[in-house]
Amino acid sequence: MKKLFLVFMLLVVTALVGCNKSENTSSSGSEKDKGNHVVNIGYSGPLSGAAALYGKRTLNGVEMAINEINDGGGFEVNGKKYTLNLVALDDKYLPNETGANAKRLIQEHKTPIIFSPHSGGIMALQVFNEQDNFIIGAYTSEPAVTDSGNALTVRFPPNYEGYIEPFITYEMERFGKKIAALPTASQYGKDWTEALLPAWEKKGGEVVYNSSIDFAKETDFFTIVTNALKEKPDVLFIGGASEPTAKVAKQARELGFKGGFIIMDQAKLDQMMPITGSYEALEGSIGVLPLIDSDQEAIPAFAEKYKKLYKEDASSEVGLNYLGMYAFVESMKAAKSVDDVKAIREHMEDGVKNLGNEQKIYAINSIDEDGGFDITIVTGAVEDGKVVPIH
Amino acid sequence: MEILLQQLFNSLTIGSVYSLVALGLTLVYGILHIPNFAHGALYMMGGYITLTMMTAFGFNYWVAMFVSILVVGLIGVLLERFVFRLLREAPPLHDKIAAIGILLFLEAFAQFVWGADFQTMTSPYGQVVTIMGLTFTMQRLLIIVSAIVVMILLYLFLKKTFTGASIIAMSQSREGASLVGININKVAMLTFMISGGLAAIAASLASPINLVFPGMGHLVILKAFVIIILGGMGSIPGAIVGGYILGFSESLGATYISNDYKDIIAFVLLVIILTVKPTGLFAKGER
Repeated sequence: MKKLFLVFMLLVVTALVGCNKSENTSSSGSEKDKGNHVVNIGYSGPLSGAAALYGKRTLNGVEMAINEINDGGGFEVNGKKYTLNLVALDDKYLPNETGANAKRLIQEHKTPIIFSPHSGGIMALQVFNEQDNFIIGAYTSEPAVTDSGNALTVRFPPNYEGYIEPFITYEMERFGKKIAALPTASQYGKDWTEALLPAWEKKGGEVVYNSSIDFAKETDFFTIVTNALKEKPDVLFIGGASEPTAKVAKQARELGFKGGFIIMDQAKLDQMMPITGSYEALEGSIGVLPLIDSDQEAIPAFAEKYKKLYKEDASSEVGLNYLGMYAFVESMKAAKSVDDVKAIREHMEDGVKNLGNEQKIYAINSIDEDGGFDITIVTGAVEDGKVVPIH
Repeated sequence: MEILLQQLFNSLTIGSVYSLVALGLTLVYGILHIPNFAHGALYMMGGYITLTMMTAFGFNYWVAMFVSILVVGLIGVLLERFVFRLLREAPPLHDKIAAIGILLFLEAFAQFVWGADFQTMTSPYGQVVTIMGLTFTMQRLLIIVSAIVVMILLYLFLKKTFTGASIIAMSQSREGASLVGININKVAMLTFMISGGLAAIAASLASPINLVFPGMGHLVILKAFVIIILGGMGSIPGAIVGGYILGFSESLGATYISNDYKDIIAFVLLVIILTVKPTGLFAKGER
């Protein structure tokens, strides 16, 4: 009797699950919600683990844009009102998880756009995004992401190759020709190093030390920094997540290093400063211009809004993803569709052009053929304890 | 020569931290007979509690560290009482699963309470001291000295007190200890408490030279595993010596062989030691 009951229950449960499934699949790309149409926007990035903070910041940018758009009553495409719904999944910085998340996002939520903030994950998505019809909102400065010719990838940050020339020129003139490289041990760190060092040598410089630091494994950086400084470099090339990178800079100063730092674009001067205590320790550093120090007109209002909502200073992770989300919405309007991803991608150019003035927190000119935003690169250097834009 | 001395100093610093973490791990091994995977999470909790005591309550560095030792020690006791004691009769696999569960729980807990961001612990000992071209920071000297003091105290406690002797007795044989009238529940809880306290000390000492974040336990725990295998599972001198061996091999290997291969050097060393002495340097006969 008991067994029979169990079997019966099992049948009921299966039936229920089945119903649920068929209900889900009946909804189309844009779900109807109280007379309003909803477009789901996907996100897959690190929300736990060592890179969680970075992931959270990129997500904040997308979320802030979506909330603003929804609070303004949504947007109109082809005479229909749409609002946005953000579906964020954690991929722990692992490309395979990004892939699995994306499959889930498109199957369960039919997201036309998926944001991802790391090159490994983005490359995993590029394997199937053209077949599965979704656009990747790529937050990475890795040039390989757009060089691969993927037709449905939009890259927000400027390609890091643009930084190399101004960084080298500045540091060589100010400090000298000997460089020691201590980049982060990620693929991105390796690619950056491979782009920077040959360019440094080409300009008549000398590479005296080159070894990477694994921030997920090292408790103390004194050993490696001691070894790098033994070669008496004028400039140190460092990078990775802002906070550990700042620790490397600080320990280099403790060990008596007087030269300058070239800081990979992943680390941000404004996030490094709280760790070193002041900009004094970072004197002579060149890196990405902190968003809040930018002289773009829309910045003060944006920075204030963000600080009020998230209780921290806005950074480029936030800014570019925010801008990206708005650009996508404008492209949907221009494409007159919320789910025809090819049309949306084709109208990206209009999307970028139609951005409102208060969204233009970066000087964005257009979108390149390969899907990268064409943003004028402005770097920032620390001079006399202050960050100054270097145009 | 200067470089060699500087690197010897660097390896003493890092070796001290490794040894303290490995000591806690090896003590608990005597009770659980499995490596406590959650030990790295206890280390992380220690860092956060010291930091919170300093920032939120304005405690002095040493007072904060003391509170942290008590709190993490208490977490250790709770783990023993409510997780591992209940699994005492279960197959060893269950202990392992429970330890991993605790690790995941504590990490998620820390991220929930303190957030995912990297935080800095500012110790009052940030001064840089340069003697004959060598750079010391006060904090690093403090790490080395404190670690040695803690090790001596632990040694005296284990060898000279009755309670300490009962911990050793229990790690040698639980049944035997029980037969001679040792309260094994009490001893197990005490051991977990000391282990947690050691993790808190190590984290509080090391945090000012690195950062406090939910994943900080991973930096040391894998190395602590290597150390206790190298030194002999459950062996106290093994954990101390192993910690310094690893510290030295990393620093000197990075300097004189190659920075990119320094982990390989440590593992080659492990292979050599285990080939010569398969039970580890200081292993006890019966295990």
